[in-house]
Amino acid sequence: MLAANFDWQFIWDHLPDFWEGLKQTLKVAGIGIAGSLAIGIVLGAARAHRVPVVSWLAATYVEVIRNTPILVQIFFIAGALPHFPGHPIRLEPFTIAWLAVVIWGGAYNTENFRAGFEAVPYRYREAGLALGLGRLGTFFNVTLPIGARIALPSTINTNVSVLKNTSLLTAIGFAELTNTAYSLESESFKATEVYFALGVTYLIVVWTLSLLIRVVERRLALPEAR
Amino acid sequence: MPDWVDPVAHYMLHEGLKNTLRIAVFAVAGSTVIGILLGTLMTIRFRPLEWLLRLYVEVWRGLPIIVTIFLVYYALPTTPYVHYRFGAFTGAAVGLTLWGSAQVAEATRGAVQSIPREQHEAAGALGFGWIGRHLFVILPQALRRLLPPLVSLIANIIQNTTIASLIGVTELLATGQRSIERLQFEVGANSHAFAIYTALLAAFFCISFPLTRLASFLERRLV
Repeated sequence: MLAANFDWQFIWDHLPDFWEGLKQTLKVAGIGIAGSLAIGIVLGAARAHRVPVVSWLAATYVEVIRNTPILVQIFFIAGALPHFPGHPIRLEPFTIAWLAVVIWGGAYNTENFRAGFEAVPYRYREAGLALGLGRLGTFFNVTLPIGARIALPSTINTNVSVLKNTSLLTAIGFAELTNTAYSLESESFKATEVYFALGVTYLIVVWTLSLLIRVVERRLALPEAR
Repeated sequence: MPDWVDPVAHYMLHEGLKNTLRIAVFAVAGSTVIGILLGTLMTIRFRPLEWLLRLYVEVWRGLPIIVTIFLVYYALPTTPYVHYRFGAFTGAAVGLTLWGSAQVAEATRGAVQSIPREQHEAAGALGFGWIGRHLFVILPQALRRLLPPLVSLIANIIQNTTIASLIGVTELLATGQRSIERLQFEVGANSHAFAIYTALLAAFFCISFPLTRLASFLERRLV
């Protein structure tokens, strides 16, 4: 049963399967990155400006998510919520998939943006208020454009991790890239070929994503950090 | 407390938590030793070595940990010329160590490079060779910067041991899931999934929270 040689032909023949899985991975990761950035900006702003109640709830959310394994979080959404006492919550596999990574990434991005917004010098905000922009206007015209760009480098790691963490959705049988490889291996027994191809695919995607974000980062970086 | 809680808690703590901590101890020890060694070597200006170590770090940091563990556990036994079969426990620990050592290596490189040149020169003047200079002069100073990421690494590795459940290791998550299945089989529709998954979240939180707190405290104090 042990393959004597590495079967390149097998990988070549199954590239379409990998492509199908990759599309699912990219779809979930895309929603995950967009959603977690949105949560991060909103809750990060609430944290940085110490909005009562919202800020405390956000802090709890961040600590709970950052201090529990994402795999347990995935199983909690998929396996525990349907047994929620008195009010079962059943979700579609795709909903579970993006929800899990959005919740996870949102917690990390909240921290990233909180730090970014807090790093905006107070006198800038004072200037905005003095110009009569109002609290909300000051946030959108002063704190957000500067703070988000300070936060940018640390959100990169989070965004890449969101993509990598979609691989854990294989545990609930969601047919993303890792799960596709896992099924392919269990019907062909070509473990080396399958997982080698899987690893290379992830490296290509992760390295490309890091590179792309770094280019965007350089374009958006604050003038003094350039 | 309902009757079912006691045996389940006993099983999850004595079998599950024990295995979780055992894997974590191996992975943390391995990551720290290999990571500090490779990270120190990364500061040597010698192109082929730099590229090789850079490749190691980028590969194991770039791959999702589950893929690394699948490579170690499923792919190595059929790999031509290797044909090595790890047990599930060791396979998970090795996979986590590959990831963790890459993390530590990157942190060590930064920490070692942050030590002023004069420290190297002074140690050299005192007659230390490369090894002695790093072991007795540079690394002890770099450790200050290294400690916070090492503490977060412990928390991260403990969280990521849950991935070992996917290759059949009975760590904390797996014992929880087995308990859910067994209770469902015994009592039927009245599932305890919600209670047990909540307990799992709480258990990991209780382990991880003090560690991340300690890491940010150290970061404020030492760096």
